Amino acid sequence: MDGSTIIFYILAALTLGSGLLAVTTRQIFRSAIYLLFSLIGIAGLYFWMNYDFIAAVQIVVYVGGIVVLIIFSIFLTHQTGEKLPSPTLSRQLFAALAVFCGAALILVQLYHFQYTGTTETALEPNVNNIGMQMLSTDVGGYALPFEVVSILLLAALVGCIVIALRTKPQTN
Amino acid sequence: MLSFSQIASDVDQWLHKVCSPTWALVFEMVIIGVSVIGLFAVLGLVLVLMERRVAAWMQIRLGPNRVGPQGLLQSLADTLKLLVKEGMTPGGSDKFLFNLAPFIAMIAAMLLMAPIAFASNFQIWNINIGVLYVSAVSSLSVIGILMAGWASNNKYSLMGAMRSGAQIVSYELSAGLSILTIVVLSGNLGLNDIVLSQKDGWWIFKGHIPAIIAFIIFMIAVTAETNRAPFDLAEAESELTAGFHTEYSGMKFALFFLAEYINVFIVCAIGATLFLGGWMPFHIGNLEGFNHVMDYIPSSIWFFGKTFFLIFLIMWFRWTFPRLRIDQLLNLEWKYLLPISMFNIILVTVVAIMKWYF
Amino acid sequence: MFITNYIKNVFGAVKSLAVGMKRTGYYFTHHKEIITEQYPDNRDTLVLADRFKGEVVMPHNENNEHRCTGCTACELACPNGTIKVVTKFDITPEGKKKKAVDKLVYHLELCTMCNLCVVACPSDAIKMAPTFEHSVFDRSQLTKVLNQPGSKIMDGVE
Ligand code: SF4
Ligand code: SF4
Repeated sequence: MDGSTIIFYILAALTLGSGLLAVTTRQIFRSAIYLLFSLIGIAGLYFWMNYDFIAAVQIVVYVGGIVVLIIFSIFLTHQTGEKLPSPTLSRQLFAALAVFCGAALILVQLYHFQYTGTTETALEPNVNNIGMQMLSTDVGGYALPFEVVSILLLAALVGCIVIALRTKPQTN
Repeated sequence: MLSFSQIASDVDQWLHKVCSPTWALVFEMVIIGVSVIGLFAVLGLVLVLMERRVAAWMQIRLGPNRVGPQGLLQSLADTLKLLVKEGMTPGGSDKFLFNLAPFIAMIAAMLLMAPIAFASNFQIWNINIGVLYVSAVSSLSVIGILMAGWASNNKYSLMGAMRSGAQIVSYELSAGLSILTIVVLSGNLGLNDIVLSQKDGWWIFKGHIPAIIAFIIFMIAVTAETNRAPFDLAEAESELTAGFHTEYSGMKFALFFLAEYINVFIVCAIGATLFLGGWMPFHIGNLEGFNHVMDYIPSSIWFFGKTFFLIFLIMWFRWTFPRLRIDQLLNLEWKYLLPISMFNIILVTVVAIMKWYF
Repeated sequence: MFITNYIKNVFGAVKSLAVGMKRTGYYFTHHKEIITEQYPDNRDTLVLADRFKGEVVMPHNENNEHRCTGCTACELACPNGTIKVVTKFDITPEGKKKKAVDKLVYHLELCTMCNLCVVACPSDAIKMAPTFEHSVFDRSQLTKVLNQPGSKIMDGVE
């Protein structure tokens, strides 16, 4: 076992362990923090694979954005020291079932997929290549999905504004 | 000539001679860790003293002048005091998170040291997405603040944390956009590459109008991001006693305090790298003779000189202006800085495409 | 116009920032302006501001004469009951009785240095002195009699 493998196992253990803690802890803020560690562990895996850009984006989006938003909503709705009630048995059962099904689905896919080797040299995952690929209109380019996703985001933005908009009181 | 890169490569060669590559790597990591911690300690002492002195002189006072010659040992004495103070944990708090929070703040600050180019060929990690890495990891530090605010079980802490969260999340945008200006101009994300792209002049001169606008926005935004006055609503001692670190004492408080100053150093180092050429000496176009003279000053001195100049700028800022109200703060970001920096991005893109920079 | 207002706002803001920073920058570079007094060290050369108010005193001239008529206006003016005027009756050369001050008792520990008594005094008999080293070990020492023993009223003061 060389150093790289050890680091991989440490990161994997961090990701899985804190993920497990995130769903089992009964204090909601801790749960958010464990989720954060889990996401950082994933970013660490990306760094380990030398996908620097993806790793940085993972941190920006999940840690800087999503977890902070989750924490904000916890701040606004909960009190320190409060403990969540433990979930009912039926829920626990259903959760276990769902987890089992999901894991089974992924494992089945993994073991049935025919991996074909390629002799082409890998594309360097640097920002230039990612940018080119993202905005290229050739075959295999991501320009169309990119734009479609941005329309989705735009729709979400407009939706937010509509929801938050205060209707002017009717004066007549 | 004795330079940082020379020392680093000598140590590297020596380690490879005496032990296997793996152990050499491990030893190098340990050396780096120790020297980063050492740098932190020194920076903490120097910056606190500098802040107090600058503050005093700007307010027509003398500042610390009793401990040691000219008060130079004042921050050492403060550190000693903090070390022997009792670290209290308030009842009803979430002990685990309460104790973890200062370390998160510190670790985030430490991670940010990695991609900074301190001198020519002297960098801990020459990551090719330098600035992106910096803006990613700096968003970690807000987590430490939010954690501290929540775990303290104190309404002032909670309010401080909320404010700080809102503030950092929104000012990150305009800081990011102003960083992007320089990325567009230099066509690179790596900090060392950006420095190298300023061989014939710093971006603030080469990029003229858009670079200057971006510089001003950057300075304002990072002042807000590091929670310093006039944007220190997260601490706001007159309203929230001390905001998110109200309940902290002793060494845990010291860690927060140190992290704040380290963050100031880091953002100023980034600013110096992006706008003022990092370790690149002051060069003007093709004036060979002049450039050569400037090269005699070691690159580390250039780097630290520029960084401390920016730190001084931020301190000047802090001791001149009164604190903003929260609505003014958010107005400033969303109604002024963000639209202007978006406009500035368009401007800089045009400049970069038309090659209107020097 | 919205846009012109906006631009004006931005430039106004930048300009006001510059003005503020110019002021502090001036102080930063001009150390002569520093107003800190290094007190115990410069005790001999200490300069106090003209209007520094440290305690109420009653000036006497070289003949041990003061200007107080014993009118008790200061006692009435004081919001804290700091001053107590004890009066007596002098016999004038013409044989008439005349009210005069016996003791003007001043409780320094109660005084807030508000200056109201000085303003109220019709004959300018008292004033504020720039002293501040008032600490003593026994608080009875803070109760002072402002007119010196054996002193009498100055001629011509009514
Ligand atoms: S200064 Fe004010 S408080 Fe003091 S004796 Fe005069 S009136 Fe009273
Ligand atoms: S000090 Fe002035 S106000 Fe007071 S009793 Fe004497 S004359 Fe009257």
